[in-house]
Amino acid sequence: MRIDYKLNDKFDLSLFSAALILIVMGLMGIYSSTQNTPHVMLNFEKQLFSLGVGMAGLIIIYFLPLNFFKVISLPTYAVSLFLLVVVLLIGKTVGGAKSWIGLGIFSFQPVELAKFASVLALAHYLSKPNINLDNLKDIFITLAIGLGPVPLILLEPDMGSSFVFFGFVLIILFWRGLSVFGIYVVISPVIIAISSLLGTWYFVGGAIIVLALLFYFKKDLFTSGAIMGLNLSTGFFVDYLYNFLSPHQQKRIASFIDPMSDPLGAGYNSIQAQVAIGSGGLFGKGFLNGNQTQLQYIPEQWTDFIFCVIGEEFGFIGSVLLVFLFIVLFTRILKTAVVAKDDFFGIVLVGIFSIYFIHFIINIGMTIGILPIIGIPLPFVSYGGSSLLINLAMLGLVLNVYKSRII
Amino acid sequence: MTVFSTTQKKSLLTAIIAVVAFFYALRLFQMQVLEFEKFDAKSSSNSIKAIEQIPLRGVFYDRNMNLLVENTPAYTVRIFPAEYNTKANKFLEGVLGLDSGYIANQLYKNRIFSKFVPIKIQRGASFEAVGWIEENKENLPGVDYIIEMQRNYPSGVMGAHVFGYSKEISQKQLEQNSDGFYNPGDLIGYSGLERSYEEFIRGKKGFNYILVDSRRREIGKFKDGLRDVASIKGSDLVLGIDLNLQRVLEESMLGKVGAGVAIEPSTGEILALVSSPDFDLNQFSYVTSRDYLSDLLSDKRKPQFNRATSSKHPPGSTFKILCAIAGLESGVINENSTFFCGGGFTFGRFFKCHGAHGSINVVHAIEKSCNSFFYQLIFKIGLNRLADYAELFGLGKKTGVDIKEEVKGLIPRTSYYEKLYGKNWPQGILVSLGIGQGEIGATPLQLAHFTALVANNGKSFAPHFVRGFLDENKKLHSLKFREINTGVSQKTFDLVKEGMFLVVNGAGTATAIRMQEIKICGKTGTAQNPHGQDHAWFIGYAPADNPQIAVAVLVENVGFGGTHAAPIAKRMIETYLLKNKPELFKNKQDSLNPINKFRGFLEN
Repeated sequence: MRIDYKLNDKFDLSLFSAALILIVMGLMGIYSSTQNTPHVMLNFEKQLFSLGVGMAGLIIIYFLPLNFFKVISLPTYAVSLFLLVVVLLIGKTVGGAKSWIGLGIFSFQPVELAKFASVLALAHYLSKPNINLDNLKDIFITLAIGLGPVPLILLEPDMGSSFVFFGFVLIILFWRGLSVFGIYVVISPVIIAISSLLGTWYFVGGAIIVLALLFYFKKDLFTSGAIMGLNLSTGFFVDYLYNFLSPHQQKRIASFIDPMSDPLGAGYNSIQAQVAIGSGGLFGKGFLNGNQTQLQYIPEQWTDFIFCVIGEEFGFIGSVLLVFLFIVLFTRILKTAVVAKDDFFGIVLVGIFSIYFIHFIINIGMTIGILPIIGIPLPFVSYGGSSLLINLAMLGLVLNVYKSRII
Repeated sequence: MTVFSTTQKKSLLTAIIAVVAFFYALRLFQMQVLEFEKFDAKSSSNSIKAIEQIPLRGVFYDRNMNLLVENTPAYTVRIFPAEYNTKANKFLEGVLGLDSGYIANQLYKNRIFSKFVPIKIQRGASFEAVGWIEENKENLPGVDYIIEMQRNYPSGVMGAHVFGYSKEISQKQLEQNSDGFYNPGDLIGYSGLERSYEEFIRGKKGFNYILVDSRRREIGKFKDGLRDVASIKGSDLVLGIDLNLQRVLEESMLGKVGAGVAIEPSTGEILALVSSPDFDLNQFSYVTSRDYLSDLLSDKRKPQFNRATSSKHPPGSTFKILCAIAGLESGVINENSTFFCGGGFTFGRFFKCHGAHGSINVVHAIEKSCNSFFYQLIFKIGLNRLADYAELFGLGKKTGVDIKEEVKGLIPRTSYYEKLYGKNWPQGILVSLGIGQGEIGATPLQLAHFTALVANNGKSFAPHFVRGFLDENKKLHSLKFREINTGVSQKTFDLVKEGMFLVVNGAGTATAIRMQEIKICGKTGTAQNPHGQDHAWFIGYAPADNPQIAVAVLVENVGFGGTHAAPIAKRMIETYLLKNKPELFKNKQDSLNPINKFRGFLEN
């Protein structure tokens, strides 16, 4: 059909439809989990409102000239860093993390903007032709840009979002042609940092692995020494930082590393989340009929645990449909990234893909008992205005890049 | 190192997506299809709701097994917001006698809770109201009533500061809830015996298991109630309180500010304790009205403050008894030692006495309450040695009474003054201390306990309200309290008690309360009050030869102790010791009627 052909030419209908169905599933989950809890009953309406604003934003972004994004990439990055500082100073504390800026009846989470802004800034830097990722200096600058917001985010503290930053920085570096050795250089300090938090023997083990790989790459003495020095100082710095934290922050990290150290907290949620999903069975208990959801065994299901509602009320069929829709979303973005009109937009799209993808892995992984409980939302599905607005804005950009792709 | 082409990189990332998605789908298949039954069973058990059965609190009896505090059933009207129709507000408010708009307000306040959890609209609803609800059940969806227990005080005594009351548990108490007994909304003893014996009287909770659907609606009993556990009533307490004495003391203190305490010297059991003004426990038995509470809180005399155990005032001349004991026992003086009283004593400045008593010995110094004698005595005893004796008799420290509301009082030592004024503190301070004035403070309970120790020749028990608790067979299990033995010699007590006998029966300061049938021993005191009228004290015991009751009475801001406090003590002693005389008993009952009416309980 001619009309369809024309539409598909300018507009990635599959991508948009997948996102739209995810949003509808999310709205159903939000409605189901909040309708009996009066103080959050308005969340459904609020999400509808955010959706309206977000769709308007998506349309505007879809029609903006693409060069506009190159121009605003660095200013947006600066603004997002500024907002991350502001939130630490005057932010609202919700669920133990100071991550909200109140704006009258609305509030905004700067970290959501910071993810997008960092991707734009990284693309801006890495799309310069003279950047050579075999050069340690260029790698370090890339890391500094991509991970710049992380210390501010850790201060909130918001562990989950920090993972997203590590994730997309790594995937973008890979996309930009970082060698296997380069990936090693980037990942090794993360291994050291995590192992040093786990305990002395883990730290020694991590250091041995890093050292063994260093011998495998057979680099010159100076490079090897510099990398080893970087790794060891990371380990000791993290350890120092840990001791510098207050006991309740240390406890937070401890229960993050081992959820069962807090069985009534994170452990309880993990168990109840799995009961909700597992008891959904093949076809689910039906919309509004999930007793785990309706009896509120899992707190705040409309945000990070929204997948439990879908798993319980729509069963295996519903869950797999959701996973499938995400596969469509991911692959369509990657397809567009390959045909983007220049490197900048290729990198931006891979960054956007990475943000969605890491959220997906962590969020679903924690509800099905594969990953520890890390509180981050499921894109397009979870309740949350800031998250939905930024996700739709990013989607608008993807659609815009698709429209101007190289055919 | 190989550098991948863009398409290769895309394929690699797509492969990662595929692996993750496949792995997650596999896990979902395992959970939702293969292990469905396991999770389904767990989910079903989540649909069984345990409903707590709140046990009856133990009741309180007086020493003669008269019921003081009991439980009575009361109707509580509830609304289930999910089913309730707000059109019924007006009718319901009219029938229950509630302010217009009250129900709407309650519904609004409770909007953050599940709509299927009932809201208690009125506790203690009238029988007529409940009858009306029952008749109009069809037109009142979501309205029901349940029977709950509330405290009732059938004897007509207030005992506000003794019995205390319960209150809905606070957030802070819930956090400290170490044995996990309490849930939000539970009542917990908040003051008096309700608080200190909470663990005895609270009983054991029971549970009814109920099946609920996904909307938390109750759909039936779980396994026909076979798994239900009945609640167990709390232990009943038997108090040392004597109903008649408590009643008379409450009536005597009516309109006065102060406190009275009576103790059985041989056991340390508190026979009566009143702090005045008091308050109406009936108002606290379930929900306290806002008006009543604001009246209580705005009353400058602080009715909720337990003056008997928590107010500390200088003991005035009653402290001379302790000085005499310290002087005699430490050997500083003996029965023949005299000091000269020329109408006062000069130490830096002139400290006056009530008269010129000439050369006076310890017995007559107590009888006449001679200041000069004790001004001089305290210098011989020394401050720290005096404080040692004071502590031996329970002053300056908590008596260990079995309610939590108690203060230590103040008995200074040299270190206290050194801290306050430096190494060279003025010794003149001691002069006032010798007659119980200045920086010294005792509670009425402490002085009653002290009097009981003197009456019983230095041996007694820590003062306490509760004799023991009853088991299921109504058998009394006595509780053990700290035994006290001052080790002070009989000779010292004989001399001091002779002085106290003469205070009432000789030419002393309380001859006005002398009686033929009972020989009372005592000592008056007047605490100087820099802020207004002096406070009147009287301590005493009776009968002189075989003490069965020791009392301390404090009346604030009235003046001399012999005039204002001693007559109350006399009435207490009469009531307690002449209880077998029916005509006297009857009189007391009659005289109580007006206050019963005044306080609003009509019992037939």
